[in-house]
Amino acid sequence: MAKTKIEKENERLEREYARKHKKKYRYTAGDVVFEIINHAFFAAFSFICIFPFYYLFINTISDNELVRKGMINFLPRGINIDNYIRMMQVNDLFLSIMVTLARTVIGTLLMVAASAFVGYLVTQKEMWGRSFWYRFLVITMYFNAGIIPWYLNMAMLGLTNKFAAYIIPGIVAPYNIILVKTYIESSIPGELEESAQLDGASPLKIFISIIWPLSKPILATIAIFGAVGQWNSFQDSLILMQSAPKLYTLQHRLYIYLNTTSNLAALMSSGSSSSINQTILESALNGKVIKYTISMVTIIPILLVYPFMQRYFEKGIMMGAVKG
Amino acid sequence: MSKNLKVSGKLYYLYRVVAVLLFVILFLPAVNPAKVCGLINRSISLLTSGFSYGNLISNFGRAFKKEWVSESSLRLLNISSMLVCIGIIGCAAGACLSLGNNRCRRLGNIISLGGSALAAGFMFGIYNAYLQIAATSKPSKIEPAFPDSFYPILAILIVMLIVSVLELVLDERVEKGTKFYMESKYRLFLMFLPFILLAFVFSYLPLWGWRYAFFDYKSGDTLSRDNFVGFKWFVQLFRNKATTSDMIRVMKNTLAMSGLGLLTSWVPMAFAIFLSEVKSLRFRRFVQTFTTIPNFISWVLVFAIAFAIFSTDGFVSSFMMNIGAWDAGKNFLMSGDHVWIKMLLWGLWKGLGWSAIIYIAGISGIDQQLYEAATVDGAGRFQKMWHVTVPGLMSTYFVLLLMAIAGILSNGMDQYLVFENSTNTTDIMVLDLYVYKMGIVNGAIPLSTVVGMLKSIISVTLLFGANKVSKLIRGETII
Repeated sequence: MAKTKIEKENERLEREYARKHKKKYRYTAGDVVFEIINHAFFAAFSFICIFPFYYLFINTISDNELVRKGMINFLPRGINIDNYIRMMQVNDLFLSIMVTLARTVIGTLLMVAASAFVGYLVTQKEMWGRSFWYRFLVITMYFNAGIIPWYLNMAMLGLTNKFAAYIIPGIVAPYNIILVKTYIESSIPGELEESAQLDGASPLKIFISIIWPLSKPILATIAIFGAVGQWNSFQDSLILMQSAPKLYTLQHRLYIYLNTTSNLAALMSSGSSSSINQTILESALNGKVIKYTISMVTIIPILLVYPFMQRYFEKGIMMGAVKG
Repeated sequence: MSKNLKVSGKLYYLYRVVAVLLFVILFLPAVNPAKVCGLINRSISLLTSGFSYGNLISNFGRAFKKEWVSESSLRLLNISSMLVCIGIIGCAAGACLSLGNNRCRRLGNIISLGGSALAAGFMFGIYNAYLQIAATSKPSKIEPAFPDSFYPILAILIVMLIVSVLELVLDERVEKGTKFYMESKYRLFLMFLPFILLAFVFSYLPLWGWRYAFFDYKSGDTLSRDNFVGFKWFVQLFRNKATTSDMIRVMKNTLAMSGLGLLTSWVPMAFAIFLSEVKSLRFRRFVQTFTTIPNFISWVLVFAIAFAIFSTDGFVSSFMMNIGAWDAGKNFLMSGDHVWIKMLLWGLWKGLGWSAIIYIAGISGIDQQLYEAATVDGAGRFQKMWHVTVPGLMSTYFVLLLMAIAGILSNGMDQYLVFENSTNTTDIMVLDLYVYKMGIVNGAIPLSTVVGMLKSIISVTLLFGANKVSKLIRGETII
């Protein structure tokens, strides 16, 4: 909305008035103490949140002998990236990275496409039984049968020990459907759709050429949160892949490594890694560094997408506030 | 003529129900008619048997080599299953078309007639394959078994066939020049249908698993009247001493940790309020950026971090040893002290920055004039916080608190699973973890189903209770 000249002028005058008449605020001693304590608290908490990541990182790039002795506390020494290069030789690890990447990419794409399409369909008032079916979807957020029936169900469907178990159950995500629906209803003008309908466009055509491009902001939000969820998921691998170690996700693999006693031999024999050159690894790595490096490998992708996520935070947290 | 049409209209309901039934059968390994011997994988469905020969014969390597069964029998089984699948898919397509005009319906009827005839015909291919496999020279290894589901499925297919024929006869004739047409309300519905099916299969179907609570079941058994035990497991929960004492301990942990969570539920709000007192925008951004990161890593990674900081050769120990304060490293993770508090602190570390965001958004939504008015009235910093900011955030806090109360039994299991070890297991065992350990790890499926089932019912009740409370107090619902 364009402001009129008079309004602009008024605003300018108001600002000027405020500037002239602003009382110079003087800090009292109490204020100073408060500011110091307040800043100190937040600085300390930020430090506590970020330091562990830093600590892990410097330990993976430092000289392994110093790491073993516990000499690397605050600064890296003897910087090298050999650990990361050698890490790739552990067969199981590379495989689980690939599995996790695949599920993240495929799972997120399908989930976003389905959420967009279903979110659009439920805005179509003329659909047969629309409100019933919409409730049918939404109500699934509020109950679940429990972990054992869920597992038995997946077994009955023949999805245990199959990669598809990572993808198919996540396609319909009621929460994200609600988000897309609310977005379409509030941010895409209904006239656009109506005029396309008058031109004889089918619902599918309207979805592809109008809804999909215009709802990109919300789709980006659900995509990024969905992808982080897929990358982090651990329970389904733990419960469903009991006899398919090849399909373990990275998180699951890391969990196994963390729980193996810290001697290297045990770590290495836990995988089917006959092809790796054990002597090279043994001389260069110890259990601690392996664990740190795998942890880093698991964290890095999250840290990489994190800056892009930040602008979606408010939308993401508002996910809790939306209603059906 | 119109009487015929009425009958035909009614018959279409049966037609659609039968088609849906057939379609579901495709995906359920439990009713796979192609599972004609014990050597075939228990968990493959008819669809898999038809379209993945590799899966079908995955256990047959030795049987082929020793020529107990000939490969051609399994080929026959595979191809028959595939054609049965195609037939059933045809029936489903016919049912979808039955929502259209008479031309659509007629086409649908023809397709489903062909489909059901094809499927019923090749059921005999499966039967034949069964006969061949049953004639094996080594029945003890192959374990031929006639699938129970064979005749029911055949019967359903024949019903489908008859209904299709009837519809072809009864439904109105198609005049020349009629175009295919379906009302858009049905077209939209058909587009929605696959997602409804997915939601049904993954969210509603598990409820069917609650029946295990009433059977004496071990992995691999089949449920039958013989192992039906009624409420035995429910009774055991309260009568059996060992189980009861377990349950009391687990409930104590669950409620204690949820209770601590509720007691500290104001902390994110306080975090947000004090953070908004910081004047420098850059510092605020910096704090928000860093404190939110832990929310996005999994609990496994949180444990990895705990390991790096608090284990015997982690940061704390090596730092203390380097400055000479300690002689040997301490492992804080292998200790049963203060488990509840530690878990609470880890939860706060991970979630505090993130949970504060909703309050930060809330604070920016509070009318600035309220603050100005308070300043004029001589309110100090803390008075403004308490009398302006806190009331402004109260409704958000209230909703989140109610949700937390509704979820009091659901602590989730990831956090406790990763931190659990032999020294802290008695204090860390929460309900979700207990159910997982009992059911998946120890295989006590019925009893763990009972516990999970009671938990689900209580949780849903609490949620609706919370919703009612919210409606009464605020006049707004939360779900």
